[in-house]
Amino acid sequence: MEPALCDLKDPLINHAEGQLFLNEAFKIIVEEVLCKGTDVQQKVCEWREPDELARLLDLELRDAGEQQDRLLQRVRDVAKYSVKTSHPRFFNQQFAGVDYHSLAGRFLTEALNTNLFTYEVAPVFVLMETEVLRSLRQLVGWTEGDGIFCPGGSTSTVYAMNLARYRLFPEVKSQGLWALPRLAIFTSPESHYSVRKGAAFLGFGTDNVILVKVDERGHMIPEDLDEKIELSKSQGAVPFLVSCTAGTTVQGAFDPLDGIADVCDKHKLWLHVDAAWGGSVLFSKQHRHLMKGVDRANSVAWNLHKMLAAGLQCSALLLKDTTDLLKRCHSSNASYLFQQDKFYDVNLDIGDKSVQCGRKVDCLKLWLMWKAVGSSGLEQRVDKAFLLVRYLVDQMKKRDGFHLLSEPEFVNVCFWFIPPSLRGKEGNADYQNKLAKVAPTIKERMMKRGTLMVGYQPLGDKVNFFRVTVFSHLVSHKDMDFFLDEIERLGSDL
Amino acid sequence: MRSRCGGRGRRDRKTTEVNSDKTGRTQKLKRQPNQDQQETPDKEQNPNNTNIHDTVCNLYDVPLNGPALSVLSVDSFIHQSMGIILEDAVKKATDVREKVCEWRSPEELKELLDLELRDQGESESKILKRCRDAIRYSVKTTHPRFFNQLFAGMEPYSLVASFITETLKTSLYTYEMAPVFTLIEDAVLRKMMEMIGWEEGGDGIFNAGGSMSNMYAMNLARYRYYPDIKELGLSAAPQLAVFTSQESHYSISKAAALMGIGTKNVHMVPTDKRGKMIPSALEEQIESAKRKVRTVPFLVNATAGTTVFGAFDPIDKIGEICEKHNLWLHVDACWGGGALMSKKHKYLLKGIEKANSVAWNPHKMLMTCLQCSAFLIRDKTHLLQHCHSARASYLFQQDKFYDVSYDIGDKSIQCSRKPDAFKFWLTWKALGTKELGQRVDRAFEMSRYLAEEIKKREGFRLLMEPEYANVCFWYIPPSLRNLPDGPEFCQKLHNVAPVIKERMMKMGSMMVGYQPHGGNANFFRMVVISPQVSRQDLDFVLDEIHNLGKDL
Repeated sequence: MEPALCDLKDPLINHAEGQLFLNEAFKIIVEEVLCKGTDVQQKVCEWREPDELARLLDLELRDAGEQQDRLLQRVRDVAKYSVKTSHPRFFNQQFAGVDYHSLAGRFLTEALNTNLFTYEVAPVFVLMETEVLRSLRQLVGWTEGDGIFCPGGSTSTVYAMNLARYRLFPEVKSQGLWALPRLAIFTSPESHYSVRKGAAFLGFGTDNVILVKVDERGHMIPEDLDEKIELSKSQGAVPFLVSCTAGTTVQGAFDPLDGIADVCDKHKLWLHVDAAWGGSVLFSKQHRHLMKGVDRANSVAWNLHKMLAAGLQCSALLLKDTTDLLKRCHSSNASYLFQQDKFYDVNLDIGDKSVQCGRKVDCLKLWLMWKAVGSSGLEQRVDKAFLLVRYLVDQMKKRDGFHLLSEPEFVNVCFWFIPPSLRGKEGNADYQNKLAKVAPTIKERMMKRGTLMVGYQPLGDKVNFFRVTVFSHLVSHKDMDFFLDEIERLGSDL
Repeated sequence: MRSRCGGRGRRDRKTTEVNSDKTGRTQKLKRQPNQDQQETPDKEQNPNNTNIHDTVCNLYDVPLNGPALSVLSVDSFIHQSMGIILEDAVKKATDVREKVCEWRSPEELKELLDLELRDQGESESKILKRCRDAIRYSVKTTHPRFFNQLFAGMEPYSLVASFITETLKTSLYTYEMAPVFTLIEDAVLRKMMEMIGWEEGGDGIFNAGGSMSNMYAMNLARYRYYPDIKELGLSAAPQLAVFTSQESHYSISKAAALMGIGTKNVHMVPTDKRGKMIPSALEEQIESAKRKVRTVPFLVNATAGTTVFGAFDPIDKIGEICEKHNLWLHVDACWGGGALMSKKHKYLLKGIEKANSVAWNPHKMLMTCLQCSAFLIRDKTHLLQHCHSARASYLFQQDKFYDVSYDIGDKSIQCSRKPDAFKFWLTWKALGTKELGQRVDRAFEMSRYLAEEIKKREGFRLLMEPEYANVCFWYIPPSLRNLPDGPEFCQKLHNVAPVIKERMMKMGSMMVGYQPHGGNANFFRMVVISPQVSRQDLDFVLDEIHNLGKDL
């Protein structure tokens, strides 16, 4: 018998050693990730080709364990070769920056390692999630309702689809879709791809996601929505859900919620607002008009890990429903977990509202940050982001070679960088082809230099352009200047 | 019941440790901007951005009176909060002399926590107090007397990895965004496939929980047989039938409901008295379903380690039936997968290499922090990618400068996805396969020990011999011991476990789950996982149950 096994009398592991490791590793995390990772003098990323990186990391898992100093070196390596998403020059995604209160909340969540299924195992967080959801609903304009935190905005979209279908056809839960007519979902081509993924996953099929026309800025056109719904009905389908977007991924466009809500009212459709990206404008008195009409939605998906930097993942699904739809739709009443003869109010055992079993605590990081800075502090962050974007756009207009796709509505700025060799050559036949190659090359160069990270993409018939999203409260106008200088530096010879 | 003073004394020592580090760091940070400006004049003129206060004030002539975070206060805040976490949520939480939980009624707890979110922010000291409160009133799932769920114990290596992923804050969609974690996920998945015995390898992904993995299995299976489903929906397929045992996890039914298959198309196969699926019953059900018009069986879910009894379905035999009927075999090894790490016990999953897919949660038996759920698939045809992809051009550009097959995000139905594999990787690196296996062996030994003790003690009755780390038993208080087995006895016995549970939680001495099951009255289910648990803890559980319930 192994030595470790022969004695059950004592614990197998020595916690003092583990705690020492935690202390040492924390120092590295602070130094390498928090200090260096937010320092503009340091690189945003340390690019390595996959093969080389695999060698550097020594990934293989072996029979024997390793010494602590070796493991601490691994911690350093992981920090070194990872992208510093909190860095002020990281503009690649819809998350960036760091909020130290939410970070403390995340550390705490990890250390407490619990699951949100019952009040019994997560008393603090069951109550906290309820309160956070209530406060978020208040910002939407609802005094009542329901909600849940999901592992990402895509899951929130999936939930909205499932709830909308269940409300209309509750028998779907037991009978499946074969008992139902063909159902149709409406969204814009600029909406997030999770609508299509959700439709495939839930058995609707992506062909039953009907794309409504958008205007040149990317807003869904309510009149076209109305027409498409009528058309779909005439073809024998049953429209049941409109998923509109508050803050599209690429252009940051806000669909006109009021106009869409009118159409939904007329046809009695579930209105879901994917505000995963744009929802945070609700904190701002100045900018919340972008989501006018959101209170008329049936459901709202809002990712606080995006603009507000609560830390991945922090995705709230908010519901206007007061009939316990979420629970009725998802529950399966497992008797090993949701015993009905408990000594407290079992309505607090919220786990059965989810399609997950184990579900992470995502509310604490938001709650702690919100407590620390208050709604007014969060409002200022949102307002500041708009101002920074304004500054960036003004600077772009002053410089040669920066060409905006459109005036930004939100904190996404989409633009082409036209290198000197292409300026004034717009009429040339190969202009678009050449322009399409500019952004990928600049991107490669910036990553290899490690100075900056910003995303690019084509959209419809528009060739590759950059999309910069600006919202971290750690970013200053100097970072904006640097951003433009660096793109010029990297692309001037193209 | 215990000395809080002891705890305070220890905290003081720890805080000093943390503070001394903080002081050093703070000085360094304050020096840095000047130094760097002189040393790297050519790089750029921007002052060090870690000086948040300055940049905030300089911004485009806008007064920004938000949270004026100076580097000093940030640095000290994160150190102070970590000091609290390490002392209260790690050290005290795992100390056997401390309470497992500090029960408060919901109303009282709401008052204590002051949950409301307001317009104005609060001071740092207030926020730190809130951290302490959150810890104090939370259940200590890492405590050696926490046996309530299928996770327990504290694994420092995994916790460090969690801290790193939380700080690095990235998402696993592209190599560009998560180079390290993309490679690590791949390495962990490959090693897990090796443990399963897939010599040819396969594919896989880490998911937000085992329920999600079971859903993935269902979606892939139906897509393999009817690929048109993705575009056309379920109308492109006949009525599909799923088979699983009545002891299987509820996520199979939830998945069927969510994915439009419907719970009535989940066929519950009977189990033997140990909770194992009966293969002949499975085959009968498959054949009877096939005889129905328009019904087509496509998926069998076998469970390795059922939630309540810890039973292992006979995967080998079930695999043969699946082969015969050309059905997708999914093995839900979320709980039992850990046994694959043990040379001695892996026979329980014999035949798992025949599975088309496996769900395995290292956050359960192998103690990785929540969540760490692997979904593995024996497929080399990119089924996962074909089934789930949406090819978003803003994320998965095809004209990148590196091999875009490393951009694995489109395999998922999530968009952002946490790097959960890293927690398992670091733990595995630290302990090696060997020690992970020893821990699993020890958990088996522990549950055997507990079962033997239960048999020795008056008033305790096992439901069955444990097969895994679940030990299910009744406690029969003295007043019931002379009653004959019958409805009256059952009814009275049924009320015992809930009362003992209430009492243990109010005492805070331990946490053990109970449930009714089939026709059985409420019984306790002990789950032994953590290597921090010793024989004494198990003796304590039995003593404590008796103490709490002897007057009933």
